[in-house]
Amino acid sequence: MIRRDRAIRSICVVGTGIVGLSAGLAFARALPGIEVTLIESPADPAALADRSPATLPTIHLFHAAIGLDELDLIRSEIARHRLGVRFEGWPPGKPAWSHVFGDHGLPVDRIPFHQLWRRLEAAGKARPYHLYSAAGALAEAGKFVHPSEDPASPFSHFLYGLSLDPQAYRRRLAEAAAGLPRFAATGWQVEPRADGGMAALALDGGQRVEADLFVDCTGPKAGLLTAVGARFEPWDQWLPGGRIVFTEAASAAPLPVDLIRAGSDGWTAEYRLPSRTLHLSMHDFSAPDGERAGAAFRPGRRPEPWIRNVLALGDAAVALDPLHGAPLHLAQAMILRAIDLLPGRDCHPLEIAEFNRRTDQEVLRILDFQTLFYLRSGRTEPFWARIAEAAPPPGLGRTLEQFARRGRLPFFEEETFGDQAWAAALLGLGLRPDAIDPVAGGPALGPVADHSAALAARLQATVARFPDYPRLLDRLRATRRRS
Amino acid sequence: MTGQASEHRTRVVIVGGGTAGWMTAAALVRRLPHACTVRLVESTEIGIVGVGEATLPHLRAFIEMLGIDEAEFMRTTQATYKLGIEFRDFGRIGERYLHPFGSFGTPLNGVPFHHYWLRMRAAGRQDSFFDYSIANVMAATKRFAPPSVDTGSILSSYAYAYQFDATLFAPYLRDYALARGAVRTEGKVVAVERDAASGDVAALALESGERIEGDLFVDCSGFRALLIGESLHSDWEDWSRWLPCDRAVAMPCASPTGGIEPLTRATAMGAGWRWRIPLRHRVGNGYVYSSAHIGDDEAAAALTAAVEGEPLADPRLLRFRAGRRTRSWHGNVVAIGLASGFLEPLESTSLYLAQGAIEQLVALFPIGGRVADADRDEFNEVVDWEYDRIRDFLILHYHATSRTDSAFWDHVRTMAVPDSLQEKIELFQVAGRLVRYTRGLFLEPSWLAVFLGQGIVPASWDQRAEAVGEGPLSAALDRLRGRIAEAVDRLPDHAGFLRGPAWGGAA
Repeated sequence: MIRRDRAIRSICVVGTGIVGLSAGLAFARALPGIEVTLIESPADPAALADRSPATLPTIHLFHAAIGLDELDLIRSEIARHRLGVRFEGWPPGKPAWSHVFGDHGLPVDRIPFHQLWRRLEAAGKARPYHLYSAAGALAEAGKFVHPSEDPASPFSHFLYGLSLDPQAYRRRLAEAAAGLPRFAATGWQVEPRADGGMAALALDGGQRVEADLFVDCTGPKAGLLTAVGARFEPWDQWLPGGRIVFTEAASAAPLPVDLIRAGSDGWTAEYRLPSRTLHLSMHDFSAPDGERAGAAFRPGRRPEPWIRNVLALGDAAVALDPLHGAPLHLAQAMILRAIDLLPGRDCHPLEIAEFNRRTDQEVLRILDFQTLFYLRSGRTEPFWARIAEAAPPPGLGRTLEQFARRGRLPFFEEETFGDQAWAAALLGLGLRPDAIDPVAGGPALGPVADHSAALAARLQATVARFPDYPRLLDRLRATRRRS
Repeated sequence: MTGQASEHRTRVVIVGGGTAGWMTAAALVRRLPHACTVRLVESTEIGIVGVGEATLPHLRAFIEMLGIDEAEFMRTTQATYKLGIEFRDFGRIGERYLHPFGSFGTPLNGVPFHHYWLRMRAAGRQDSFFDYSIANVMAATKRFAPPSVDTGSILSSYAYAYQFDATLFAPYLRDYALARGAVRTEGKVVAVERDAASGDVAALALESGERIEGDLFVDCSGFRALLIGESLHSDWEDWSRWLPCDRAVAMPCASPTGGIEPLTRATAMGAGWRWRIPLRHRVGNGYVYSSAHIGDDEAAAALTAAVEGEPLADPRLLRFRAGRRTRSWHGNVVAIGLASGFLEPLESTSLYLAQGAIEQLVALFPIGGRVADADRDEFNEVVDWEYDRIRDFLILHYHATSRTDSAFWDHVRTMAVPDSLQEKIELFQVAGRLVRYTRGLFLEPSWLAVFLGQGIVPASWDQRAEAVGEGPLSAALDRLRGRIAEAVDRLPDHAGFLRGPAWGGAA
């Protein structure tokens, strides 16, 4: 049988942080006949996909794929719900705003709401953009509910991710992966194959691990992928990078958003996790204590994350900025894509090329989205100014041009942040179209203003009746485990 | 912020009153009545080509956008329903398959259906992949009903388009546009006046002596390309090395008895292929051929011999060439329809291309009457990739063949195809993977249909398809076939449905 002759029989995952364990679990579950081996490798403190608490709404899909249950994670004090990000001082001198997931407002005659909102604003009839979304109204009140299953409800069209306590989450993944063979290693060496791929991994302890496919989850140094010829493409001109410091504080009142505060020399994030509050700060190297504390983070990517029989995931493939919860999202998306496009063990170049092509489209668009926040931060201090002067990456350049011209959002394949997220980000950062799009100029403003005001008022009034977030969490803890 | 240009409405002048011209006029008066005036210049001396009798499901969205009642539109244009295109004798003489508007089977454990089918085929199962398309089973039994809106139902896995009389569609849209403020000017354009500084078109001079000024000119003059070609000389990218058919002979005939098939048929011929489009009142036929491989008289004779009903007109000859403008929007002239490019109607894409260009024009409509580079570049980019992708898909129909019976088929079978297509074919051959995209025409089920329908079968498949045992998998496939047969069995006959209440007739 042709197929059985090609099938991958063994996968060796190197690195047992969140990304490596996630990969091992997902491969083992999707491909029951395959032998998945885990190699422990010292954690790299700069591996942000393994360390950031924030995740996107796609986390639910991944959890379904590896059999993790949201309610169980909430009840085990591992996770909380995450509607998005609350930005303070970003842009400076403006009121705080929320970037949340899901629909904002209602379209009229196929015209996107953000276009109509711009007209309301010009007429002095607009409230902050996020208050026209269910998730934004919830974020404003610091509350959370699950989306309604009734499509007619204004609370049915929003999404949420999870904030994960990285250490507790990693422990849970490790428990789930307890059945997989695992080797500890203080170090290892790549044994090359004649065709340029990898034959085996030689561990310092003396073992030699062979596999059809090797998965590099070792963090930014990408020990395996580098050994088969990967080069690093830095994004210094678009993302600032710098010194990343995580600090811990006692737990605080729960909030369903990350709190991000921009300052003169960088920014800090506050994640209110179940049993502690985690602070992340990103500052340039000149900041006080910058030389001593934290990990050096340099954004960039390896343009081909899959080379022959070596696949890199997480920071080994792409070092994304920790904003928005993109790092773990991308790692998980790449895991699911690798399963969907799993090549034969000959790793046919066209199969690998299609994986890399889709990943490339996805990664460049995430880069566009993250760069937007730095390029148009509105801040002028040295940490920010260097990026603000850069020419944008091509995709972002196109989005900025079309948005500035007429509020239009061009289409891109493999887009992680859809039109709703892009519009919310652009408006939240204070960007405005130079002109109203001719189609959007059509509907009479009066009725649009009336029904938009009614929507915002209804969202606010409904949210006021919802329980506070701590009470909701108590209720969830008291519910019986779902079958 | 300048706000909308309410003080100045953009003056749009459309040249040509064929299907593309009146579609453009209708869309503009519907979407931008406050921002533009629409004037259409047409000459009754110039006939319309009237291609595009067969459409794609996307046209439904256009009809809906205009707010037109579907049943009324279908009555007026003598429309029938279409579930896909049947290809005969393409991969090999004697073979047929349907490229359906819809999917094949259902994914199992997140793995696309075709991987399971490939595995069972290798294990000796003998059924056709197309038995798992409900649209194919419906079409084969001449049945039709609109798809279910319940996404859980097997009857939601298909879509439909129309087959209609294009010579009735344009007048229908003309009435729509005129009723909403468009102005029609009868006359022949004899000169195009251009601004000396910018090169933009400033005005058109008509034979009557009338001079028509405008801000934006839409060239819907068909193959003649009066503005974009004759006046602006916008470059033409020629694709005849891959798509050698350059002529068609068309001839309608009377409808045969025995029901109306809800499909368009393309039958491969010695030097091209022949279309058959069943309408309510007649059947449209045509032979698309390469003039390097067959003479006009011979082609007309072959068509006459092939049609199954009494001819209703003499054979009519059309000339064209495959390709597109390198810039469909050039200066202040936007070409829409045949003036912008031509791809033979093998996959019924003519009206889709016009519709797509119109939607982009609306989305990128000049602000304050002034054309900006940013708008033009966006428009051209979208129009280009639509054309390029359809081009590759059409080439596949010729190239994926084992026919050796004529010089024409020898040529297309052995020619080098664009790299973008070669990669798609080779990737599929390895393990049934498809180059993914989510926007535009011809998504994964379409590529599957033509690949598997024309003999390109992967050497392996997704190894997750091995996770289910052969026995249970075979039983699951049998059940799926049973569900499809049962669902189709309850559907009405297509011709009967067309006579029913949905169509305004007696039940």
